[in-house]
Amino acid sequence: MINPTDSFGAPPLWKNGPVPGAFYNFPGSNVDKQHISQHSQAPVTTATSVIAFAFNSGVIIAGDLLASYGSLARFRDCPRIMKVNDNIILGAGGDYGDFQYVKDFIEQKVIDEECLDDGFKLKPKSLYCWLTRIMYNRRSRFDPFWNTFVVGGLQDGVPFLGTVDKLGTAYEDKAICTGYGAHLALPLIRDALDKNPLLSEVEAVALLKKCMEVLYYRDARSFPKYQIGIITEDGIKIEGPIDVNQKWELAHMIH
Amino acid sequence: MSATVSRPYFPDYAANAPTKHHFSPYADNGGSIVAIAGDDYVVIAGDTRLSAGFQIYTREQNKLFQLTNTTVLGCAGCWCDTLTLTRLLSARMQMYEQEHNKTMSTTAAAQMLSTILYYKRFFPYYISNMLVGLDDEGKGCVYSYDPIGHCEKAKYRAGGSAGALLQPLLDNQVGLKNMQGIKSEPIPLERALAILKDVFISAAERDIYTGDGIHINIITKDGLKSDSFQLRKD
Amino acid sequence: MFLTRSEYDRGVNTFSPEGRLFQVEYAIEAIKLGSTAIGICTREGVVLAVEKRITSPLMEPTTIEKIVEVDKHIGCVVSGLMADSRTMIDRARVECQNHWFVYNERMTVESCAQAVSNLAIQFGDSDDDGAAMSRPFGVAILFAGIDEKGPQLYHMDPSGTFVQFDAKAIGSGSEGAQQSLQEVYHRSMTLAEATTASLTILKQVMEEKLNSTNVEVMTMTPKGLYHMFTKEDVEEALKNVAPLEHSRGDTPATGSGVQAKTSSA
Repeated sequence: MINPTDSFGAPPLWKNGPVPGAFYNFPGSNVDKQHISQHSQAPVTTATSVIAFAFNSGVIIAGDLLASYGSLARFRDCPRIMKVNDNIILGAGGDYGDFQYVKDFIEQKVIDEECLDDGFKLKPKSLYCWLTRIMYNRRSRFDPFWNTFVVGGLQDGVPFLGTVDKLGTAYEDKAICTGYGAHLALPLIRDALDKNPLLSEVEAVALLKKCMEVLYYRDARSFPKYQIGIITEDGIKIEGPIDVNQKWELAHMIH
Repeated sequence: MSATVSRPYFPDYAANAPTKHHFSPYADNGGSIVAIAGDDYVVIAGDTRLSAGFQIYTREQNKLFQLTNTTVLGCAGCWCDTLTLTRLLSARMQMYEQEHNKTMSTTAAAQMLSTILYYKRFFPYYISNMLVGLDDEGKGCVYSYDPIGHCEKAKYRAGGSAGALLQPLLDNQVGLKNMQGIKSEPIPLERALAILKDVFISAAERDIYTGDGIHINIITKDGLKSDSFQLRKD
Repeated sequence: MFLTRSEYDRGVNTFSPEGRLFQVEYAIEAIKLGSTAIGICTREGVVLAVEKRITSPLMEPTTIEKIVEVDKHIGCVVSGLMADSRTMIDRARVECQNHWFVYNERMTVESCAQAVSNLAIQFGDSDDDGAAMSRPFGVAILFAGIDEKGPQLYHMDPSGTFVQFDAKAIGSGSEGAQQSLQEVYHRSMTLAEATTASLTILKQVMEEKLNSTNVEVMTMTPKGLYHMFTKEDVEEALKNVAPLEHSRGDTPATGSGVQAKTSSA
């Protein structure tokens, strides 16, 4: 922008060149700070992995209860498996504050729908798609929600599992893990599903518990208390806090 | 957060201005697209691996989007942009149909995609797009794009993460380039499909962002047919 | 009659109890003051012809422009308030260019008419798009164009209604001219026949004597696209028009008379 009053003053000697009273104009040194807004550039209080997969009659999701402040295990009772309505469960990783904000948003959305009293309920794919738009919108404003959401549910009786990250990247799969879970738990789940694509609920819970155990041993930001959410035709169960079955006998090898 | 990053301190360079964001709105989710056009057909294939870095998000992600009965779009690159762009496109296809009482032609869709991409010139959709279809005469055509809307019509094209790897291969096998004593003949559909599968097998060997499987769309005057093919999954 | 209307004929958004929008109807009336224009659509192409009212011998007739190019493949003739028509033609041109820019193809004649219609009905209350127009346009338009469906002729009135026609007349002499068109028109008409017919009918309904300076003629063909007749072209075309046996101010010739003249051309 050309400031009309400036045009009466002398032009600068050269761009970023010396001016009286200063040696040099370094790039950015004369930026007007008033016109700059601070966006959330990085997460603050964070939750680690979410683990989820579909089994023969539904979807199972788990996440531990810890919200870390950097490397500090700051808050130790932070549930992040959420029942949205009778046919959707949601798990979240990443910034806990952002999750709580989005959670309130979703809860209000569900209440608004309830008020319509038309017998229709939000379906998993709709929430998944809506979250995609919300997340993409925020990333496009350079002010992302620093989360990864995992949406599980039953869409017309068929298990649905999808995820959306802070950019709005979204995909559906039979098994989805975020954070360290993607590296440590996902191979275990994919292996199990390859061998038996139609796990029973009991088998699914056993597999999930094994994954949470492996994660607790290796992920330094994990916690031995976690929640499991299961959605089937019978409804939604959110169980927990469940303790990781810790076995440290092998630690005698470690000094 | 940037203040916590330790780096040498040079007072002269210390600016009172905010430091750069660490957040990047883009991701490279990989994926490759290959298309070959013939006189009465066009084939397009995209691999089904969706990845980020060393992580495979899913092994079964379709990257081909049918716009009309004779037009298909293949997308590789930033997946969140792909999701948004393809939603916008399907809305625009429907709006065109309702406003003009006809289905959009491949050439019209090709031009529209170019303008849509250029409208985001300064915050682009980070996608390598490939639009294929039959033109008004029923001939196969391939349009390939850069992220900001430059459009080029071709007979065959490879794009996405293994694009640079596969294009010379196609130049040789489809374009019959750099060979002596070769009579240039239009390649039949069967040959095109065989080449398509072969080049994807090769890409999966060398490119970690390409693999798991491919989806193929074959467009002829009889309509659109789909096929799929497995690739190595490591 | 006038008194009963007075309550409802002011606002452009107020229906009368009989369900009429008087301002729109008055706008349609305004067309009937305009100069006569005729369009005929044949298999070979479309012809548009319009009279120019030379109100003073000191006037420069070529500056009256009633037939204009919208795009290479669409032309139109207007009748009514010329100033209003400029706004509409502007919109038609912009829409055609935008369509070419976005889709790299020629806009269909129907879509072009639709685009202008969208502008024509924006009278009334202002909305988010900005200030509204205070009244409907006092213009009728004939769009002549070539698209994938072949030669086409569309008529649009101030209400924004647009309809496809084989042959249509607008303006002050439209009633008589339309009657004549109905009698003359047939599907296998050639473009030359249509040109002659349009000039013949124009001659019948015009108050002035038809000559090469007080008429504009344009043809739209798949090959030549928009072609505006030069003075010489018009003179050539007028040779095929039989002289009127009626004196000036008479009622238009009967249908059979027109037909006989056309076939003799």
